[in-house]
Amino acid sequence: MNRLLVVFLSLLVGSVFAHTNEHANLGEQASSIKASGKVFHESVSIIRKMHPEFLRHKRDKTLRQGVRTDEYSLKGCVSCHANKNKTNNQYHSVDKKGQFCSDCHEQVGVSLDCFSCHRTIPKEGLL
Amino acid sequence: MSKTLNRRDFIKTTSATTIGVATVASGITLTTFADTNKTPVTNEKRWGMLIDTNKLSEVDIDGMVSACQKEQGWGSEVHSTGSQKPGWIKKLKVKDKATGRISNLALMCQHCEEPPCVDVCPTNASMKREDGIVLVDKHLCIGCRYCMMACPYDARSFVHETLSNQKEHMPRGKGTVESCTMCVHKVDKGGIPACVASANSDAVIFGDLYDASSKINQTLKTVQSAQIRADLNLNTGVRYSGL
Ligand code: SF4
Ligand code: SF4
Repeated sequence: MNRLLVVFLSLLVGSVFAHTNEHANLGEQASSIKASGKVFHESVSIIRKMHPEFLRHKRDKTLRQGVRTDEYSLKGCVSCHANKNKTNNQYHSVDKKGQFCSDCHEQVGVSLDCFSCHRTIPKEGLL
Repeated sequence: MSKTLNRRDFIKTTSATTIGVATVASGITLTTFADTNKTPVTNEKRWGMLIDTNKLSEVDIDGMVSACQKEQGWGSEVHSTGSQKPGWIKKLKVKDKATGRISNLALMCQHCEEPPCVDVCPTNASMKREDGIVLVDKHLCIGCRYCMMACPYDARSFVHETLSNQKEHMPRGKGTVESCTMCVHKVDKGGIPACVASANSDAVIFGDLYDASSKINQTLKTVQSAQIRADLNLNTGVRYSGL
């Protein structure tokens, strides 16, 4: 029974981390930061596992208490991880198929609803 | 009570650090957001507005409406019919029945101290911040629209259609209720609301109602002002003079 559980758990964990290979769509800024050797997220595995909690915590603090720091802000995620369409120089929405957010969410089969309200590309004139 | 830093000094010292741009790699800039509000807002302040109807022409009010639309990104909904269209701030004509005098009002959420919209909300989405700003937490809003029914000022609207390309600071989406936020994203960083900025600084005054040295507090002490539907005892944050 225990062995079965271990097998099951490792399958489960395996599916979460199946995506540890190079992210195809890291995003414009994120790729440059990575290429420059700088570290933005101290631990990639923590941000992968914990970003929903971080974002939820941050959203309540910002909306209800007016705490407006850039740590764990969804705006920050979007502006760093969005990709540009090379031909027309326009941003792809981060939640579109094959883009940063949907890439993993599709893989692990979660669907969530940040982007029916939140802007999916960086602020106009940011870059 | 002695203050070490008044509001003006605070704005002065923080505005210099408001937008810092750091170069990370060639051609890449990372914009760091203002760090003005690291601590939760408190009830030591209460934000309010004083609107002088004598000093606002209809054109000025239209200007306030379009400033709000531009800042918050509403008003270009294509599928919503007339009564479904959002209206965070409206131009309202009021007529004194006895004298026939007509005044024009800019009417937005009045940021009530005792907000009926908050009382009726079943999910705690309709909420009042410590500093008096009334907001909708769209993460919790289930779109029941009780708050729209409860609001005596018809200040809230419901988003009836799928939206895209929202403002970065103002998430809006189908199925949730929205209303004037008192431009909280600007206020939290030491700024003033967009509609206030668009109007003459004497016609619309924004500030901390509790701060005895603020322009709004001092003006309220000297001119006659009114709350709309004062009989409801909601103690609104938005006041009017010249009515
Ligand atoms: S004006 Fe309406 S929406 Fe605004 S706080 Fe009062 S009841 Fe709520
Ligand atoms: S305070 Fe901001 S959100 Fe409210 S009416 Fe004015 S511009 Fe619109």
